[in-house]
Amino acid sequence: MKNKKIMFWAIMLLVIAAVIVILHKPTKLGLDLVGGSRLILEAQTTETIAKITPEMMDSLQYAIENRVNALGVAETNVQQIGEKRLMIEIPSIKDPAKAKEFLGETAELEFKKESQGFNGVTSWVSTGLTGKDVSKALVSTSNNGQWVVSLEFKPEGAKKFGKLTQELVGKQMAIFFNGEMQSAPVIQEPILGGHAQISGGDSGFAYEEAKKMVDLINAGALPVPAKIIEESLVGPTLGADSIEKSKTAGIIGISLVMLFMLLYYRLPGLIADMALIIYSLVVFAIFKIVPVTLTLAGIAGFILSIGMAVDANILIFERTKEELRSGRTLFTAINAGFDRAFTSIFDSNMTTIITCVILYFLGTSIIKGFALTLVIGVLVSMFTAITVTKNFMHLMFGAGQLKHPGWFGLRQSDIGKAYEVQETKREKAKFGVLD
Amino acid sequence: MNETILHDKKIIDVVKYRWVWFGLSLLLIVPGLVAMAYSVIKYPTHFPVKVGIDFTGGTITQYTVPDNVSNNEMGKIRTNLEKAGIENPVIQVLKSNNAISKANDKKNNIGAIISIKTAFQSNDKQSEQKIATVIKQDYPEAELVQVSSIGPTLGSELFKNSMFALILAFVGIVAYLTIRFQLDYAVIAMLSLAHDALFVLGVFSILGILFDVHIDALFITAVLTVIGFSNHDTIVVFDRIRENCRFLAKKASFPEIVNASVNQTLARSINTSLTTLITLIALYLFGGETTKEFVFAMIVGIAIGTYSSIFFASTLLDWWREKQDKASKSGGVSKPREGAVA
Repeated sequence: MKNKKIMFWAIMLLVIAAVIVILHKPTKLGLDLVGGSRLILEAQTTETIAKITPEMMDSLQYAIENRVNALGVAETNVQQIGEKRLMIEIPSIKDPAKAKEFLGETAELEFKKESQGFNGVTSWVSTGLTGKDVSKALVSTSNNGQWVVSLEFKPEGAKKFGKLTQELVGKQMAIFFNGEMQSAPVIQEPILGGHAQISGGDSGFAYEEAKKMVDLINAGALPVPAKIIEESLVGPTLGADSIEKSKTAGIIGISLVMLFMLLYYRLPGLIADMALIIYSLVVFAIFKIVPVTLTLAGIAGFILSIGMAVDANILIFERTKEELRSGRTLFTAINAGFDRAFTSIFDSNMTTIITCVILYFLGTSIIKGFALTLVIGVLVSMFTAITVTKNFMHLMFGAGQLKHPGWFGLRQSDIGKAYEVQETKREKAKFGVLD
Repeated sequence: MNETILHDKKIIDVVKYRWVWFGLSLLLIVPGLVAMAYSVIKYPTHFPVKVGIDFTGGTITQYTVPDNVSNNEMGKIRTNLEKAGIENPVIQVLKSNNAISKANDKKNNIGAIISIKTAFQSNDKQSEQKIATVIKQDYPEAELVQVSSIGPTLGSELFKNSMFALILAFVGIVAYLTIRFQLDYAVIAMLSLAHDALFVLGVFSILGILFDVHIDALFITAVLTVIGFSNHDTIVVFDRIRENCRFLAKKASFPEIVNASVNQTLARSINTSLTTLITLIALYLFGGETTKEFVFAMIVGIAIGTYSSIFFASTLLDWWREKQDKASKSGGVSKPREGAVA
């Protein structure tokens, strides 16, 4: 009995720790609950880039991170998935269409010069000077009051630019951005100071246009072209609505289950309900510690794991009732009930864990969230069902004969009616049977 | 030894009526199979169920509006979108659980969600704007709440991965059961899981034909969960059979043991399914719109899983043992009738 009391206080300590964690740590909510945008970019191979290397992916991630940061939204996440994909998560974004446009662009800045083809056709050819040579870009205004993009070159770039302008005096030099010509001024004199301006041609830039170009140049061009292959966007209203509804559904569901357990299993049902509350607290605390990002699918996984936690209790109680019917004392009946139910609980939970592990490693992010919450739930439920319920049962009922069969939802006339199993010597020792 | 359970008149004799259960299982599964065959032949995707953009690729744009949208209005939205140059838009209206959202959030009431499915648009912001213009024109209060867009290659990749996960889960379960029980227990457990998965797929195939229900990535999760759960049930019954074989093998025949085991675990099977169904039904009635089909798939699956583990798996195991017995007797080898050894 002393051990049981120590165990009881250990469980209480765990509950207090769980409550402290729940109160002090924030819950990480998925984009489908808080609202936000998730994009998956895939690096594209081109004629010049035959294979996407991990180094390319790293620099792509770096460039994208820079761009995402330029959006000025907190708690963004850029992450590589697989060999050539990047996942970008941007919570609570105001203008997702713009962000999408912003992230997917290669943003290559190129300076080109005219070249005479052999049949007299002129075309623009690269000069070797690109956005990589630019150290900083700024939005400023030109002498005639139009918005322009000012560029400041790196020392190396400034030299290149100086040489190029020297070469092109009296000729046109074009500035291409994203493959589109922005302007093609005629060079009046060599520019040696390492500064240049891009005007928007005759019509000029709108401020937004200039600002976007500046942000993109500063963030750096993408080392490889990338395409958006998946997009999901959830507005904040729908997210809030989903949280509200999941909460309501969860509370109604759990309350009904608790009521059912109480009505059907009586006193053990009450214990199961307490174990269920402890279970929920512990699982929730673990979600916060890991931390698990809660999504709608994750919540579904959690609610399902409640079903499985209750199942463990039901298995144990049904077994204990059987043992009591066969006329055992309370102490041995409870022990035997737990022991006999354990193989079922263990085997069935193991298969759930197997499925969850497979889902976690093969599934998409939605499925991963579901598998993770379910597996945490199943593992905790094994602990609470075995340790918590058993401890409470022993403390509440103690040893001795069953005096009030009603506590278990049994009738006096049921006792001694059930089949009786023979146990081995080892089992007798385990259950505490005294001959 | 007291063997009341073996001779109790109140118990359900599952083994005796096994042909009834096998017949019932056929009756449950065949319509679904027919629907799946019909879908494969009839629809351009050639899938047994109607698959959503998760697997085919495409873009779904969803707007919330404060009031419900009638069929007439839906038609109007479609024509307007087509006029605006959107090809083959598919419009769906999801009704909201009004009572709840009204009570909790009067300001941002969600009456219905208009969902517009189009071909995949990656960096094409034009069609996004076109859709927005059309919707705002008729529903100035409409709010863009969700966009999901999946490229066609990613879609087929997702489908392959999901199928691979499904098959791997089956293999994993069978391997585990073979180690913990015996191969024939494992194979029968798997047949029973296939029974459940086919039923759920069949139901969704029929729903696809009748109500244009499409399955998504979450549906695969639902099927996997159902498999896990049904397997729970089957293992509990098999575990009892295994245990009873240890104690009763000399006194009772295998069919008697199966009957006893099913009846001993009956209360547990029903109660567990009931508690899980309670939570699921609460999720279905009061939860968010986006997970409704997912929850529905689980409700269907858990119901059939309970049935299959009580009536289908146990009787199939008994039938199989009986056939093996006959085979070994006619072969002249007398094999002792024995249960599984843990």
